[in-house]
Amino acid sequence: MVEPMKRFRKQFWRGTVVFVLASWLALELHQAWQARLPNETFITGWVLFGCMLLLTLLNARKKLPFLPLLRAETWLQIHIYGGFFTVILFLIHLHFRVPHGGFDLTLTALFGIVTISGIVGLIFSRVLPRRLKVRGGEVLFEKIPAIRHSLKRQAENLVLGNQAASPVLAEFYARRLAGFFAGPENFWLHLLLESRQPINELLADMTDLRRLLTETDAKVLEQLMDLARQKDGLDYHYSLQKTLKMWLFVHLPFTYGLMLFALWHIVVVFAFSGGAQ
Amino acid sequence: MPAMPEVASILERPQRWDAPFSPDMTELDVDRLLTIAPFRQMSADKFPKRTPLRDILANDTRILSFRQGEIIMRQGDYGTSAYLILSGAARVIQKPGLPASLLGRKEPVKKGVFQTLAQLWSARRPPESYPRSLWGGSKGVGTRQAENQDARVFLQDVPRVLNEHRTDLMRDGEFFGEIAALSRMPRTSTIYAEGEGTIQLLEIRWQGLRDLMKYDDALKKHIDKIYRERALNSYLNAHTLFRHLTEDQRHQVASQIEFATYGEYDWSGDYKRLAQTGTVQPEKEPIIVQQGDYPNGVVLLRAGFGRVGQKFGAGERTLNYIGAGVAFGLQEIAHNWRNPNAPVNMQYTLRAIGYTHLLVVPTRVMEQIVLPSLPAHELPAAVEPVAEPASDLAEDFPAREQRDKISAETLEFLTSNRFFNGTASMVIDLERCTRCDDCVRACAATHDNNPRFLRHGPASGRLMVANACMHCADPVCMIGCPTGAIHRESFAGQVVINPVTCVACKACFNNCPYGAIRMVDIRDETGQFVLDQDLKPLSKATKCDLCVENRGGPACERACPHGALSRINLNNLDALAKWLNR
Repeated sequence: MVEPMKRFRKQFWRGTVVFVLASWLALELHQAWQARLPNETFITGWVLFGCMLLLTLLNARKKLPFLPLLRAETWLQIHIYGGFFTVILFLIHLHFRVPHGGFDLTLTALFGIVTISGIVGLIFSRVLPRRLKVRGGEVLFEKIPAIRHSLKRQAENLVLGNQAASPVLAEFYARRLAGFFAGPENFWLHLLLESRQPINELLADMTDLRRLLTETDAKVLEQLMDLARQKDGLDYHYSLQKTLKMWLFVHLPFTYGLMLFALWHIVVVFAFSGGAQ
Repeated sequence: MPAMPEVASILERPQRWDAPFSPDMTELDVDRLLTIAPFRQMSADKFPKRTPLRDILANDTRILSFRQGEIIMRQGDYGTSAYLILSGAARVIQKPGLPASLLGRKEPVKKGVFQTLAQLWSARRPPESYPRSLWGGSKGVGTRQAENQDARVFLQDVPRVLNEHRTDLMRDGEFFGEIAALSRMPRTSTIYAEGEGTIQLLEIRWQGLRDLMKYDDALKKHIDKIYRERALNSYLNAHTLFRHLTEDQRHQVASQIEFATYGEYDWSGDYKRLAQTGTVQPEKEPIIVQQGDYPNGVVLLRAGFGRVGQKFGAGERTLNYIGAGVAFGLQEIAHNWRNPNAPVNMQYTLRAIGYTHLLVVPTRVMEQIVLPSLPAHELPAAVEPVAEPASDLAEDFPAREQRDKISAETLEFLTSNRFFNGTASMVIDLERCTRCDDCVRACAATHDNNPRFLRHGPASGRLMVANACMHCADPVCMIGCPTGAIHRESFAGQVVINPVTCVACKACFNNCPYGAIRMVDIRDETGQFVLDQDLKPLSKATKCDLCVENRGGPACERACPHGALSRINLNNLDALAKWLNR
């Protein structure tokens, strides 16, 4: 028996097929009408602007969650595949040529940044959650500073508090651990390489300290190592969760910029051409 | 080295009656009760020394006074007590019941188009702000304090209620509320105090009622009779297993059914304490049916939950959990009836999780009356006993398809955290969730800028159950609400709170074992906190209402752009399996 296609896979294939068909149709129409329609660029321009407006509706939908306006998941699918289609329309509108002039180049650059940031964001939103889940230790982003502070306090109490005994640990803490516990560390290594090298090196250095410690202090060291592992996990979550939030701070402002430039482009085009006649 | 304490802490072992139902019960009160029926007829000798009749009355009962028109219980509420009228009278409102507004509830109204659009600007109001016009409570009912400081709700226009509703009068010596208390089912009627002056009631908490029934045959027979008359026949009429029976056969079955309760009625309190100390472990759950035993009867779960397990190695592996309406043991009994020469024993063990109320239809009754009435296609498949019980047991469990898709760890996670109780639990797929908090913002925008859940909670693998009201099948939060503010919505049974009648007693907040209810300080229209006469902030209980008034369903689910969040009935493993493998 053939197993029915799963929802996400169905979503992917449906979007891809619609995108390919729509792109093929747009290219065919462009090919067929390019020579016959004198105002073909006006038509592709308006369709392109309409599509860009449609893409911005995802954000509007997010601002109005109480209205029964389809699910955000549906809007995101429209946004993703509509976004790819808009790239095709953009190229058609440019007649597959690099534009001239500062304004048009800026507009193209803005379009490129928005597109690339969107694709990067899509990859992030598909890849990073899996990595966070695999790492475990789920934590709310807003709580990370408080947890970090708590870990720092615990570490300080161990080596500098009333019960602290070993000057070796105190010296090591001041030299290696104080900075580590003070703030987020190894942001890019966690994000790009998923590297455990820094924490492994730190733990190896801490293991080397054992020969200088009494049995009691060695137990304190074990606790410190455990806190360091927790801090590393926290940094990992901070790095990935922050990235998941921050890419939008590139995508959204440049989108606003792009829409403003696009509007100005329309005004300029109509001002100097007398409109599509 | 830290100094060792020289002497271990010594505490008295906790006893059953360390916390009596009421500290106000006196010896004189008990003496008085022992002169009143039915306690007068009870033989103290039949009660064991550890739980004497006198101590049951002193510790498991309390005397309450109600004034005319005060509501004693509401239809649809959950309660853990039965009542005996000591003096005066009470009136039962028969169908049609009182309207929601008179029961302290909200009339279920979906938002219209204009109200939906109006949220565009009303969402800018301060969080949890209510107009002053809503502070006065519901129309038609008032609130006042009883002598023991409990909030009491009273009907303001009793003659009108009498004119518009069919009612019955109950007088001193009559019991009521015992079926709902024992079976943990919703109350079926609304009852209020009748007549001039005050009426006195004896409230008996379920533990006391259980012991009184256990050691006094007359009371047991009396309650059995009421149970069979009022609750059993309607239950059998509705159950698919008995739908082919004639009226006469159904009565025969009803007369021979046995009922039983297992586990602890207040399991939620124990679970909550364990959860707070971080030591939640599957405790020793009482066995209802043991694998390998002769099938004595079909077990019908009426309320609560059971864990289905099978021997695995040296222990027992959870295969499923089952809730109200499920028939356990039917397959084995049907098999033996069709194959008398190749009988099988029970294939699985059934344990009570928390509290379980069940009915047992004896095998003889099944074989003589019920099974012959069922068409062949409705009979369960024959049992194929497992040759090597420790090897591949999952293959023989009826819900094999679910088991294939839900890992044993996930099943154990759901069971040990009691998540099977949720009919609309918020589940998050951690492999899809980008932690964008669109769900939280959508909830806040829909609910007075106060999100009604926390996007965090226990997780197993990629499944997280967020800290949001699960709209439980067994809503312990609804036990003890003095004004009926927390109730089941009539749309689809969602558990909601009417802020207008909530008196911030914290009963629901303390009862919820999952910590899904929060007390929130309320504000007026200007954003200022509202204070009481003692200048303390007024608060209300708030929780997820599943966007019951909104068109389109829960905003959190609809707002998730990645399809990572869903509201799922965790009592239905098929739905969960389908969602996890989507």
